[in-house]
Amino acid sequence: MSRRWLVHLVLLFGGIVMITPFVWQVVISLQTVTESMRTPPSLVPSWQWHNFVDIFKTVPLGRQFLNTVLVTVAVTAGQLLFCSLAAFAFARLSFPGRGLIFTFFLAVLMVPGELFLLPRYEIMQKLDWLNTLQALIAPGIFGAFGVFLLRQFFMSLPKELDEAARIDGANPAQIYWHIMLPLIRPGLLALGLLTVMWTWSSLLWPLVVNTDPEQMTLSAGLASLVGQYLTNYPILFAGSLVASLPVIVLFMVMQRQLIAGIAFTGSKG
Amino acid sequence: MRLRSSLAGLLTLSAVITACGSTTPEAGDKSEKVAISYAIWDKNNQPGLQQVIDSFQKKHPNISVKLELTPWDQYWTKLQTAVTGGAAADVFWMNPLNLPLYAKNNVIAPVDESKIDISGFPKAVTDGHRFGGKLYGTPMDVSVIGLWYNKELFDQGGVKYPTADWTWDDLKAAAKKLTVPDKKQYGLLSTMWDQGVFYNTVFQNGGYIISPDGKKSGYDDPATIKGLEFWTDIVNKDKYSPSAQAMSDSDGITLFLSGKMAMTFGGSWFAALYKANTETGPKVDFAPLPKGPVKNAAVIMGITNSVWAKSEHPEESAEFARYLASEEALKILSDSGGASLPALTSAQDGYYKAFPGYHLKETIDASLPNGVPFPVSLNTAKWLAVQEKLLPEAWSGKRPTADVAKDIAVQMNEILAKE
Amino acid sequence: MLLTRERAAAKAAAPPGRRPWRDWLWGYALILPMALGLAVFYLWPIIQTFYLSFTESGPFGGEEWVGLANFTELFGDEEMLGALRNSLFYALIVLAGVPMSIVVAVLLNTPKLRGLGLYRTLYFLPVVTMPAAIGLTWRYLYNGEFGPINWLLSLVGIKGPFWVSDPEFAIYALGIVGIWSSLGYNAVLFLAGLQGIPRHYYEAAEIDGAGRVRQFFRITLPLLTPTTFFVVVITMINALQVFDLIYLMIDETSPALPGARSIVFLFYETGFVQHSRGYAAAIAVVLLGLILALTAVQFRLQRRWVHYE
Repeated sequence: MSRRWLVHLVLLFGGIVMITPFVWQVVISLQTVTESMRTPPSLVPSWQWHNFVDIFKTVPLGRQFLNTVLVTVAVTAGQLLFCSLAAFAFARLSFPGRGLIFTFFLAVLMVPGELFLLPRYEIMQKLDWLNTLQALIAPGIFGAFGVFLLRQFFMSLPKELDEAARIDGANPAQIYWHIMLPLIRPGLLALGLLTVMWTWSSLLWPLVVNTDPEQMTLSAGLASLVGQYLTNYPILFAGSLVASLPVIVLFMVMQRQLIAGIAFTGSKG
Repeated sequence: MRLRSSLAGLLTLSAVITACGSTTPEAGDKSEKVAISYAIWDKNNQPGLQQVIDSFQKKHPNISVKLELTPWDQYWTKLQTAVTGGAAADVFWMNPLNLPLYAKNNVIAPVDESKIDISGFPKAVTDGHRFGGKLYGTPMDVSVIGLWYNKELFDQGGVKYPTADWTWDDLKAAAKKLTVPDKKQYGLLSTMWDQGVFYNTVFQNGGYIISPDGKKSGYDDPATIKGLEFWTDIVNKDKYSPSAQAMSDSDGITLFLSGKMAMTFGGSWFAALYKANTETGPKVDFAPLPKGPVKNAAVIMGITNSVWAKSEHPEESAEFARYLASEEALKILSDSGGASLPALTSAQDGYYKAFPGYHLKETIDASLPNGVPFPVSLNTAKWLAVQEKLLPEAWSGKRPTADVAKDIAVQMNEILAKE
Repeated sequence: MLLTRERAAAKAAAPPGRRPWRDWLWGYALILPMALGLAVFYLWPIIQTFYLSFTESGPFGGEEWVGLANFTELFGDEEMLGALRNSLFYALIVLAGVPMSIVVAVLLNTPKLRGLGLYRTLYFLPVVTMPAAIGLTWRYLYNGEFGPINWLLSLVGIKGPFWVSDPEFAIYALGIVGIWSSLGYNAVLFLAGLQGIPRHYYEAAEIDGAGRVRQFFRITLPLLTPTTFFVVVITMINALQVFDLIYLMIDETSPALPGARSIVFLFYETGFVQHSRGYAAAIAVVLLGLILALTAVQFRLQRRWVHYE
């Protein structure tokens, strides 16, 4: 009995450490500058709701919000489609060079993202895509991780499935779409959630490629908010709450699936 | 098959996005409709310039101008990448610091001086927009550095407000009285900022940053070093200012707005920013900088509107740039009470009226004659980076200011020699 | 194990007596979009970056072949060496958080734990929060004058430093945030690993009279080593690529920058602020070398401590 008590004590303490920065963020976002710089710090908000109005006035935050949603949805949809197609081929079809091509896919996973940045920028330049949403979407759609992850899911399906379908005269595309895809729904969900999380938060590429605030995503927009408001924390925190809340809410709703997905990457990675 | 329909939905959506994400203007008749973009860095100028644009568009119904705001922190990075990538705005803000580099590389187009009369602008301002004798942008505004102070703290401390005849000693005496460590109240902010802070004292003490022929750094000059030590002493010896680290944790403007800082050197363009703060804004005012041991000096700088050399619509862009320097446009800008004080004297009234609480006119009129342009060379950013890298050691008291300054001089001279 | 499954799948896909070329075409067709995308956005950029690393670029474009000059300059560049040191040290600090996530996972794995969902939410919250927002929040918490952390320290009589403005402390400040934001992620991975350990090991140990602590060290830790290995490698690779936090927590003019600048931060500064693309490409290539080398070392070392069933 007492041991359980101890477990709760430790977990609760850690949990408080985890949540405190968020609480502070909410409180400060509702204070004035002077209040936010008080010592000892005060945890009493003075309900300065106008902070939340001000950020929308000076930064096209609404537009950036929409941009982020559009980019995230497009990237996630593209990832799910193209990764599952390739993963299906790698897992369930045999063709010469399969192992070699798959090794190439895996090799891409090992390379840090910075190596792609400068040339990708040049590609976007040549396409005249700088400061457009497709500059954010196009590279995001492709990635080896999703192929690897979904391949594991496809491989775990029993081989009798394709055999039966083939006897019925189905071609691989039909097998992929009608039989396999519905069965790897947990995998798609995991990949989808992870992609949403990563795309929503990514900073470096959007920062570099889209310089027009109207075409920025929230992450880069937040960075430029610092350029304008310096260390005016109430305003900055109002902005970061607006920017990070959607994914937090999504997580609250889909917690189980996301965590299952991450756990899966660990066990099969 | 719920998955199938939702996937299909997502795909349609993504098609829509790609469609509306495209910002390329319609390639219609060139003589008919032309869209140009205009890049600026100060959000406080956004409303005023939008009004100017509206008025311009009324006169030129075939030209539409899109205003693009990029905060100062990222402005130059982005402009340079955009220019390199062939995706810059058609007209963009330029300052004397960066103008030589852009002009030398033919990135900005020279102004056709036969089509514009700039005689009404102060020469000190327009000279900053020249390179090799040619004008590379139309003048717009002028800014001076002055002393912002918190009247409430002065009243509480029983100190008289700063006047135009203050000296360094007066400033230090006031800073001392207004520093109350127990209340975390400080007399004078020692911000590590060249244009706004330490260049001013360097010039006031007869020092220089770069020799008139542009060949030699002034950082090893004793007068320059003393001008720097003014600030490093304030922070490390006298402790009238929060420490260098505290000033890095929170920026000077926010600290001043917190109401605990009595004085800070700052730009005239801060007026818009301070006025917007309802808490501390009404308590502050603006005065000329104190006179230094050698002379009166305040750094002045002006923003110019440059046209991108590779603009697809050079005519229309030049037309717009010229309009931005017209009395009509500057009056609109002035009346909007934004960040910019028009460089044209005849257009300044509106600006002053927009800030009735601050003694802007008195201060600016008193400071302009003492104006010193920001020192530049061909590649100013290169040696500014050296300065930015080394000066923190002096500000944080890690090394004597004189040693740091001499190091900067050595590195700066190497850079200047290569130009 | 992976291989046998692959073979089984291959067999299933091509039953005897069928003409395989149809399958081949389908295979190529299905991987084509992804392969093209990877070629354009991954493979080509890698080649291009290697090429760029041997060039020097002008302020407004154009490049010139300089051979190995960038690399020889890099290894004498104080900023680069500092960035290497900072990145490695940051990775070490964040790795020190791995044992913490094991502890959290073990506690969360307590049978029939009440409030499991709540705890999981709390620990996972930082993982789903935008790093940019995390950086801003912690920058405030770390403020030397009015930050809550120094206020808490002052309650127990400690005068806290200027965490993010002092070059001596900045890397620790960043490291703590790194641990804080990855703890939940790692704990979830460990939790999955724990749940994969068969009950009968513990039952056998209990019969032998082994206590909980003994069980933890004799059974849990060894059987968890594959997960630990995975977590260590991933954490290391991610930590070596830290950028967002530094960008949001430390200003370009901060006196702490020399003590906090990471390799990726230097890469960004060089390539996208100073526009020296050639030099930046060389930095990226060095980063790749570093990550590959460290990962290879990890894989070599794993034979000594990782137990596979």
